[in-house]
Amino acid sequence: MIQKLPAKKMVVTGDYAAAYGALLCDVDVVAAYPITPQTLIVEEFSNFVNDGITDAEFIMVESEHSAMSACIAAQAAGARTYTATASQGLALMHEMLFIASALRLPIVMPVVNRTVAAPIGIWCEHNDSMPQRDTGWIQMACEDNQEVLDMIIMAYKIGERKDVLLPVMPCLDAFILSHTVEPVDAPSSDEVADFIGKYEPHAMLDPDNPMAIGTFTPPEYIQELRYQNHVAMENAKKAIKEVTKEFADEFGRDYHGLIEEYKCDDAEVVLITVGTVTGTAREVVDKLRQQGKKVGLIKLRFYRPFPREELRSIAENVEAIGVYDRAISYGSGGPLFIETRNALYGMDVPVLNFLAGLGGRDVVTGDVEKMYEILMKAKDSKPDKEIYWIGTRGVSI
Amino acid sequence: MYEIRFHGRGGQGGRMAAEAYALAAFLEGSYAVSFPFFGAERRGAPVRAFTRVDDKKIRIKTQVYEPDYVVVLDETLIETEDVLEGLKEDGMVIINTAKKPEEVRLSKPVKCATVDATSIALEILGRPITNTAILGAIAKATGRVSIDSIEKAIIEKFGARLGKEAGEKNAKAARVAYEKTLVGVAQGGKAFVPRKKWLPTVEEMPIGGATPAMETDAGLVGIGSFIENKTGDWRTFMPIIDKEKCIGCKFCWFYCPEGCISMEDGKASVDYDYCKGCGICANECPVNAIEMKREVRT
Amino acid sequence: MNIKDLPEESLFTPGHTACAGCPAPAIVRNMMKIFGKDTIVYTPANCLLVFSGTYPYLAWRVPYLHEAFENTAACISGVARAYRKKGKKTLVVGIAGDGGTYDIGIQALSGAAERNEDVIYVCYDNEAYMNTGIQRSGATPYGAATTTTPAGRKIAGKLEHKKDMAEIMRAHEVPYVATLSISHPKDFLEKVEKAKETEGFRYLHVLSPCPTGWRFDPAKSIEIARKAVDSGMWTLYEAEYGEITNIYKPKKKIPVEEYIKGQGRFRHFTPEMIAELQKWVDRKWKRLYGELPES
Ligand SMILES: Cc1ncc(C[n+]2csc(CCOP(=O)(O)OP(=O)(O)O)c2C)c(N)n1
Ligand code: SF4
Ligand code: SF4
Ligand code: SF4
Ligand SMILES: [Mg+2]
Repeated sequence: MIQKLPAKKMVVTGDYAAAYGALLCDVDVVAAYPITPQTLIVEEFSNFVNDGITDAEFIMVESEHSAMSACIAAQAAGARTYTATASQGLALMHEMLFIASALRLPIVMPVVNRTVAAPIGIWCEHNDSMPQRDTGWIQMACEDNQEVLDMIIMAYKIGERKDVLLPVMPCLDAFILSHTVEPVDAPSSDEVADFIGKYEPHAMLDPDNPMAIGTFTPPEYIQELRYQNHVAMENAKKAIKEVTKEFADEFGRDYHGLIEEYKCDDAEVVLITVGTVTGTAREVVDKLRQQGKKVGLIKLRFYRPFPREELRSIAENVEAIGVYDRAISYGSGGPLFIETRNALYGMDVPVLNFLAGLGGRDVVTGDVEKMYEILMKAKDSKPDKEIYWIGTRGVSI
Repeated sequence: MYEIRFHGRGGQGGRMAAEAYALAAFLEGSYAVSFPFFGAERRGAPVRAFTRVDDKKIRIKTQVYEPDYVVVLDETLIETEDVLEGLKEDGMVIINTAKKPEEVRLSKPVKCATVDATSIALEILGRPITNTAILGAIAKATGRVSIDSIEKAIIEKFGARLGKEAGEKNAKAARVAYEKTLVGVAQGGKAFVPRKKWLPTVEEMPIGGATPAMETDAGLVGIGSFIENKTGDWRTFMPIIDKEKCIGCKFCWFYCPEGCISMEDGKASVDYDYCKGCGICANECPVNAIEMKREVRT
Repeated sequence: MNIKDLPEESLFTPGHTACAGCPAPAIVRNMMKIFGKDTIVYTPANCLLVFSGTYPYLAWRVPYLHEAFENTAACISGVARAYRKKGKKTLVVGIAGDGGTYDIGIQALSGAAERNEDVIYVCYDNEAYMNTGIQRSGATPYGAATTTTPAGRKIAGKLEHKKDMAEIMRAHEVPYVATLSISHPKDFLEKVEKAKETEGFRYLHVLSPCPTGWRFDPAKSIEIARKAVDSGMWTLYEAEYGEITNIYKPKKKIPVEEYIKGQGRFRHFTPEMIAELQKWVDRKWKRLYGELPES
C-alpha cells in the first residue's frame, strides 16, 4: 500500500519521474542496484520507502543480475515488481531478461540509456538497450520526462494484460532526461490505481496450489512456448494502441500508440527518430517547413514490438526515409535502420541511415538539418550510399 | 548409406561404441558420422546413439528413425521398450545377451545376432564394460567392416584415453566377441504398449510453461508427476528383504535414494517399480536383512 | 528428532532420474519431510534440477522455481520478500550444488546473507560440477581427478585444497550455519529442524558423495559420507550468529587413506599426495576439535 498521493505538477528529473511512476503504481517489490545515470531512481525510491510513503519491499541486491533474478522470483510469487538499470548493469542482466519474458512475468524496468564500455563512458548511447532486442521484452523510448512517468504507468497496464503478459523496458536518454528537470504532471495515486487495476498473475508460487515454473524442458515443448511469446508480442501491438488511447481519454495526454507522426501528411521525406533527438528534430521540422520544405518526422516509440504496418503505410506516400540511430551493429548498420528496411521490404522508397550522438555526443539542430538535407537530395537522385556518420571527424558524408 | 542405432544406458559407453564404429568405417575409406541423442540422462537411464556410414559425404543431420541395424548393449532394454521401432524390413538387431538368437523374444521375428559381451568383458577387462566387445559382434553380424578395422579403431580411440594396454585389451574383447557371435532369427510376438506422451498444442500449453499437477490422457504431468516414471527397469541387482531378520529400524527407508521403501507391519518392503538396485539399503542395514541378487527378467 | 519421527508422506516423488546410489535425492526428500508442504523450493542449474524433473514431469510436490545457475540466493530473496509483502508466512528454500555455491553463486549468496534474508540456503556438496560432467569446483578436494583436473602424466589431479565454504558463511554472522551429513541421521534431522525454526538467513551445507563423479560403488554412498566424517575430511558443527554452538566429534579418527580407498578420483594418489591431504585434514581437525588424537 502507498499513502494517498494527490495529483500534482512537479519539476523533476527523468529519474525522479521513473521512480515516482513506480510509486504511483504501488509496486510490491523493488530490487535494484545503482549505476550512473540510473542512480537517482534507486535513491528516490529508497526515500519513498524510508519515509513510509510506500511499504514496498526494497531489496538492495549486490548486483543487477541479482536484481533481475529477485524481481523474476518475486513476480513469480505474485508480486508486482520494479527495477531500473543502465549500460553495464543491463549487460550484466542480459541472461535474466530472457527468463523474465519466457516465464511471462510483466516486470517493468526503465533503462537509462548509457554507452556500454569500452571505452568506459557515462553518456547517452543506445548500445545498451538495442542488443536486448531478442530477449522478449517490450522495449520503447521516451522523449521527455512526462512521457517517462506516463510510460511507467502504461507499461504496467500493457504488460499485465492477459493477452500480453510480457515485461516492459521504457528507455530514457542518459542525462538528457535522467538528470534534467522539467515540468511533469503527475496523476493521483487513486487515478493510477483505477487505471492499471490489480495485478492478476497467470501463475504463482503458492503452497496452496503448487506449480512448477521454469523446469528443465526438452525439445518437445519449447517451440510451442516460443510461439506463445511471439503471439503475445504481436498482441502487444493492439494492447499498446488501446492503452495509449485509454490513457489519453483518462489523463488527456495522447501518445498515439507505437509511433507518433509529426507533420507527415504531405511530407516528401520523413526522418524516423528515437528518444530525445525527437524533440530537437521537431524544432528542425518546424524551421524547414517555414522554409517551405515538405519534411516530416516519425517518432518511433516502440522497438519491440516493431510498428511494421504503421511504417509501411507512411512509406507509401513519401519519397525518401531517413532513420536515426544512436547505436551501430558493426558490419551492418544502425539497429533501427536494419529493422525499418526489413519492415519496408518490397517497397520502392530509398531508406538512409544516420548515425549520430554515439558515446553521448550532443546531437544538435545542425546535425538534424544535415540529415534532412541528405534526404531531400535522395528524393531527387539516387544516393551513393546508405549509411551516414553525422559529425564524425575524418568521415565525409 | 546404412544407419545404426545403439541402445544403452547412461554410463555404459554406447556413445563411445557408436563413435568407434564410425572410426572403423572411416579407416576403411568410408565416410561416417556418429552422434548421441544428448539428453540429460544420468547414469543408468536409457540412452541412444547413432552412426551413419556411406561412401560419400553424409549431409543429413537428423536423428536416425529407420535404422538398418539396431545394437542393444543392455539386455534389460529389450524388455521395456520396443528396440525394433523403425527398423528396416530386412534389418538386423545385435544384442548383448547370453541367449541364442532363437531364444530372444522381440516384437516381431527379425534377423538377430547375439553375443555374451558382458561375460567376455568380465573375463578380459575384469569389468562389465561391453561397448568394445559389442563392436566385434557388429562386424561379424553385418560384415560391413572387418574385425581388423574394428581393432584398429578401438586401439586408436580407447588407447588414447585409457592407455595402450587397455586399448589392446579392449581390441581383444572385440576379437573374442567376433568369434563368439551367433547369427539367427529372433522370435516375435512380444507386445509393447508404447507409453503415451502428452504433446499439447500452443493453445493447450500452459502459459510460460507454469504447470500445476494436471491429469492428461497421457497421465499425470506437472507437480508430483515423476511418479509416472518407473525407474525399476534400470536395475540389474535387486534387493531382497528377509522379513524375519528385519528389525524395522527404518535406516533403509531413510537412505533409499528413490524413496521406494515403505514399512508394512513394521517391516521394510521395496517398491520394485522404482528401485534402481543401487544396493545402499543392503549396505546400510544393521542386521544384514537385505541381500542384493542378480535380477532375472522374463 | 530421529528417523522414526519423520512422516511417511513424501514431497519428493520416486521416478526421478538421479544416478543409482546418488544420495542427493534422499537428502532433499528427508529435508522436505521436515520443511513440510508450506515450502517453496528453488533450484539453480545442477544435477538436482535435471534429475528432479524433465518437463512435463516433476518430482516436487511443492511450488517449485528455477531461473538460472548463479543466483539462488537472489531468487529466494525475491520469493521471500514477495511473501513478506503479502504478510504470509512460507518457508523459502534454495538448494544449490557446490558449483552454484562456492564459485559462480557466492556473490549472490554473500549478498543475501549480509541482508539477512529470511530464507534457507542448502548447499549439497558433491565436490565438482557433476551436471556438466565432473569438472573441478572450489569444493573439489586436493588431488582429486575431475575432467578438468585429470590425473595426467605431468599434473595429477587438482592442485589446490577445498575451500572452506561453511566458514565463509559463518563469518557472515548469520542466525544459523550448520554442516550436515546424511550418514548421521539424528544430527542431520535436528539441524534441519533447527533451521526451520530459526528466522533470518540460514545456511545448511551437506556432503553428497557422488558415485558417478567420485567413481565408487553406488552401494557405498552413505558409507563414504560416514568415512568423510570419521576421517575429518568433512566436519559437523553448528554456528549461531558466527559463534560455534555445537560440534559433532567422531569417536575415532580414521586416516584419510581409508577414506579415499575405493574412490576412483583418488586412485592415482602417491604416498606424498596422501600425506599432503592428511596434513590439510589435520589442520582442519585441530581448528575445530582441538588436539589430534594419539596415533
Ligand atoms: C551461467 C552459467 N554458466 C554455466 C552453466 C553450466 N552449468 C550448469 S550446471 C553446472 C555445474 C553445476 O555444478 P554444481 O553446482 O556443483 O551442481 P552439481 O551438478 O554438481 O550437482 C554448470 C557449470 C550454466 N547453466 N549457467
Ligand atoms: S535397514 Fe534392515 S532392519 Fe532396518 S528396516 Fe531396513 S531391512 Fe529392516
Ligand atoms: S537397492 Fe535399496 S536403496 Fe537402492 S533403490 Fe533399491 S530399495 Fe532403494
Ligand atoms: S552425477 Fe553424481 S550428483 Fe549427479 S545425479 Fe549422478 S550421482 Fe548424483
Ligand atoms: Mg557439484
